[in-house]
Amino acid sequence: MSDRSDVWQGTLALMVLKTLEAMGPLHGYGIARRIEQTSGERLSIQYGTIYPALLKLEQEGCIASEWGASDNNRKAKYYRLTRAGRKQIEREARKWEEATAILARFLAPPQES
Amino acid sequence: MRARHVRGWFVRLAGTLGGGASDRELAEELESHLQMHVEDGVRAGLQPEEARRQALVKLGGVAATAERYREQRGLPWIEVLLQDTRHGLRRLAANPVFTTVALLSLALGIGANTAIFSLVNAMFFRPLPIERPQELVSFQNKARAGWGFLVFSYPNYKDLRDRNDVLAGLVAYRFAPLSVSHDGVSSKMWGYVVSGNYFDVLGVRASVGRMLSPDDDRLPGGHPVTVVSHRYWRQSYGADPSVVGRTLNVNGRAFTVIGVAPEGFFGTQLGIAPDFWFPAAMQAEIEMGSAWLEARDVEILMLQGRLKPGVSLAAAEAALNDVALQLEREHPDVNEGKRIGLTPPGLAGTPFRRSAISFAAILMAVVAFALLLASTNLANLLLARVQERRAEIALRLSLGASRGRLVRQLMTESMLLAGVGGLIGVLLAAGLLRLLAGVELPIDFPFLLELRLDYRVLGFTAAVAVLTGVAFGLLPALQTTSVNLYSTVKADSAVGGARRSWLKNGLIVFQVALSLVLLTGGGLMLRALHRAQTLEIGLDPRNAVELSFDLRLQGYDATGAREFRRRVLERVRSLPGVQAAGTIDLAPIDLHFGRSPVFVEGRTPERITNAPRAMASRISPGYLDAMGVRLLRGRDFSEHDDEKAPRVAIVNETFARGFWPGQDAIGKRFRQGSALSPLMEVVGVVEDGKYSSLAESAQPYVCRPVEQAYAGATSLIVRTASDPQASVAALRQEVQRLDPGMPLSARLLTDKMAVPLLPARVAAVVLGGFGLVALALAAIGIYGVMSCAVAARTREIGIRIALGADAGNVLRQTLRQGITLALVGVASGASAALGLARLMRSLLFGVSTSDPSIYVGVAALLLTAALLACYVPARRATQVDPVIALRCE
Repeated sequence: MSDRSDVWQGTLALMVLKTLEAMGPLHGYGIARRIEQTSGERLSIQYGTIYPALLKLEQEGCIASEWGASDNNRKAKYYRLTRAGRKQIEREARKWEEATAILARFLAPPQES
Repeated sequence: MRARHVRGWFVRLAGTLGGGASDRELAEELESHLQMHVEDGVRAGLQPEEARRQALVKLGGVAATAERYREQRGLPWIEVLLQDTRHGLRRLAANPVFTTVALLSLALGIGANTAIFSLVNAMFFRPLPIERPQELVSFQNKARAGWGFLVFSYPNYKDLRDRNDVLAGLVAYRFAPLSVSHDGVSSKMWGYVVSGNYFDVLGVRASVGRMLSPDDDRLPGGHPVTVVSHRYWRQSYGADPSVVGRTLNVNGRAFTVIGVAPEGFFGTQLGIAPDFWFPAAMQAEIEMGSAWLEARDVEILMLQGRLKPGVSLAAAEAALNDVALQLEREHPDVNEGKRIGLTPPGLAGTPFRRSAISFAAILMAVVAFALLLASTNLANLLLARVQERRAEIALRLSLGASRGRLVRQLMTESMLLAGVGGLIGVLLAAGLLRLLAGVELPIDFPFLLELRLDYRVLGFTAAVAVLTGVAFGLLPALQTTSVNLYSTVKADSAVGGARRSWLKNGLIVFQVALSLVLLTGGGLMLRALHRAQTLEIGLDPRNAVELSFDLRLQGYDATGAREFRRRVLERVRSLPGVQAAGTIDLAPIDLHFGRSPVFVEGRTPERITNAPRAMASRISPGYLDAMGVRLLRGRDFSEHDDEKAPRVAIVNETFARGFWPGQDAIGKRFRQGSALSPLMEVVGVVEDGKYSSLAESAQPYVCRPVEQAYAGATSLIVRTASDPQASVAALRQEVQRLDPGMPLSARLLTDKMAVPLLPARVAAVVLGGFGLVALALAAIGIYGVMSCAVAARTREIGIRIALGADAGNVLRQTLRQGITLALVGVASGASAALGLARLMRSLLFGVSTSDPSIYVGVAALLLTAALLACYVPARRATQVDPVIALRCE
C-alpha cells in the first residue's frame, strides 16, 4: 500500500506541476478535475490526496500559493508554478521518459538480433 | 539529499513547532473546494444534499484529508514526542506526591552514583595532567624473591635511561619533606626531587618563567633552583609574575625560583601534591644527611618513562629487561635477580592498589544497589499507577491504538522522571563534591585527589539516568499493554492479576535480597571496625600526643640534635600530667615502607637482593613507655646506649621468632643495611605491632637507639595522665621555646589512628545506611503485596470461613505466602552477599567474609520485618465477614 502510494505521490506531483504549467494559477479543486480530464477520465483520484501533495510541493518551493477569487467570485487558494518548479518539471519529465523508455524495452515483444 | 528536500524538512520542522494557524486555513481551503464541487454537481442536475454527499465521498472525508495534510505539514515523530512529553508532564503534575517521591529517590540514587563515580574517575580513569598521558609507563622493581616495589637507585636509573632504545624519555622523582621559610616563618612542606629531564619528558610547560631542564641537573650541589606549584605561587606570592628570580629559603639554604608550574599540575603521583620541584643534583641539600647520587644500593627513586611511538608495553618491558640483565652482570651484588615491570601510571602500580580498588568497588556497588532499589520501588509504584489505567489502556488498544505507541507514551513518563531526577542528582553530586573538597584529612602530607564532574562523569550519569528510566519504566509499560482485551474490558479478572503478581513478587524477592546484601556488608564493616578497635596494634593510642618536626631540615647536626632532643625530653617530662615521653623517627602508622636487609651473625651472608628484610625505627629511651609498647623480655634503651657504647637493638617477636626460632633472641647479634654494617646486639624483645597499615600481617621490626643512628625526622610521643588535648599547646610551647622557628605538627594519636580506619568507617556508614533504607522499602513492598493479595482473595477467604475454616488457619496460610517471598529473597541475597563480601576483604582486618553470626543476624532481622509486614494484612484476612465478602461481587 505504502509503496504504491509513494509511486503515486511521485507521479501525482508531476501531474500537478504539468497541469499548473499548462493552465497557469489554479485552485486545488481545479487541479484535481483537470488531472482527471487530462487522463481521459481513466484516472479517478481521491481529491483529498491532492492537498498533502500540494503542501509538499509548496514546502519544497516548486509552487507558491495565495488566496484569490474564483470564476464564481468565491474565495479560493490559487497555486502557481515557481521558477524552481519549472526546473523540477524538466528534471522529473526527463526521469520519467527514461524510466518509460527502459520499461518499454522490457515490455516490447522480443526482437531477433 | 537535494536542496529542495532540505528546504522541505526545514519548513516541516517549522510547521511542527508552529502549529495552529494553518489548520484553519486548510479548513477554509477544503470548504471552498467542496462548495465548488457542489456547485458543479448542482449544475449537473443533482440535489444540493446529494451533490455535497458525493463531493465529500470524492474528497475522501474532511477529517482524513486534514490528518494526512497535518502529517505532511510537520514531522510526525517529533509531534508525537512533544505530545507524549506534554501528556507525561500533565500526569506527573497531577500527582505531586508520587512525582516528588520518585524524583527525590532518583536524584539521591543518581547523585550518589555520580559522586562515587567521580571518585573512581579521579582514581582510575582520569589521566595525569601531562602531555599524551597514554604513552607514560610506571616502573616496578621486581626482585627474584617475588616482591616488587616501585623504587630504583639513581645510578641504575641513569643506566636504564641511557641504554634503552624503546623510551622517548625516562624520568626519576621522589618526595621529600622540607622546611621552607617565607617572610621569616618556617613551615613544613613537601617537594619533589626530580631528574633534570622531568618536565621536558612529561611535556609540562611553565605558566611563568621556565621549568627545570637537564642543564639544571649537572653539578651536584651546583644548581640551587626550584619550580613552585601554581597553588603555592597564588597563596604565598599572590600570583605575582615577578616571582621569577626571587630566593626562597629551603632547609636553611637559598634557592632561586625559576618558574611556576601550570595550574592543575600536581606531579606524577596520584593523591600527592607537593609544592616544589628541585633538580636531583641538589638532593644532598634537600635531603640533608643522605647522598644517593652515586649509591647503587640506595633504591629510593620512582621512575616513569614515555614510550616511543609504536612501541608496545610488552616490547618495552623486554628491551628494558635486557638492560636490567646487563646491570645484573655488571653489579651483581646489588642487582642480582632484579627485573623490571611496566604498568600504566596512576594508582595501578602502587601498594595502595588493592585497597583502593576494594574501597571503590564497595562504594560503587553500594550506590548501584541503592539506585537499583530506588528503581525497583519506582517500578512498583508505576505498576500500581498504570494498574489504575488498565481499563483506559485496554479501551485504547481495542480502539486501535498501537501497542508501541502506548508503550512509548508510558515510557516517556519514566524517562521524564529519570531525566529530571538525573539533573537534580548531578546538582546534588556537585554540592557533595564541593563539601568533600573542604574536608581536611589529619595526615602529614599534601593529599590531593581532585574530584570533578568532567565529561566522563557526566556521560556516566547520563547513561545511568537513561538505563534507570528504561529499567523502571519498561516492565510496567510492557505488562500493562499486554493485557487481555476481552477480559479486561469485560471485567477485572484473575488472569491478568496472576502475571502481574508474579512480577510484583519478583520485585519483592529482589528487594529483600538487596537489603540483605547491603546489611550484611554493613554488618561485616561494623564487625571489622570493632575488630580494629581491639586489634593488637602493639601500642596504646589513648592519652598520647604526637609532635612531629625535623631537626635535620632545621639545620641540626648529630650533636646539635642530640642536645635538642635531650633538652626537649627533659622539659616535657617535667610538665605536670606527663607520664612518659620519647622520640621515634617515623611513628606507626605512617607511610613507612623502608625495609632493609638483615644479616645474622654466624650465617653465610646472602647477597643484598636476596637477604630477608625488616623495617627499622630509631627511638630514644622512654619511647616504648610513651607509646605503650610492651617490652616482653630484656630491657629498654638507656642514656648509656650512645655512639660510644656497643651497638644494640630491640626487635619484635616476629623478628626474634623468624631469625632465631626456638631460641632466646637476647644477646644474639645481627647486622642491618649491608654485610659490612656494625653488629648489633639484641637487648630487648617487644610485642608485634602494626607499622605501615592496620591490615598488614606480622612484620619483622627493629628499633635502634637514635644516638647510634642519627635521624632528623622526629616524632615526639608524650603520654599524659588524662585528656591529652589540654597538653598540646603546652607541648608546642616547650619545643618552640628551644627553637622558635621549628615547623611543628601536633596531633592526638587517637586521631592519627582513625585515618587508616576512615575507608572502613565510610563503608560501614554507607552500607548500613543504605541497608536500612532498603529494609524499610522491602518491608513496605511486602506489606503492599500482601495487602493486595488479601484484598484480591477476600471472596475466597470469605467462602472458606463460611465453610468453617478457623481464623488461625487463614492467618497461617496468608503469612506463609509472605514469608515464602522473604525466604527466597534471603536465600538469593545471601549467596550474592558472600560473593560481594570478597571484594571487601582488604578492609575487613581479618574478619571472615562469611562470618555466620552476621548472616544469621541480618536474615533474622529481615524475616522479622517481613513477618510484621505480613501480619497486618493477614490479620485483616481473618476478620473477613463471609456475608459481606460473598455479597460484594
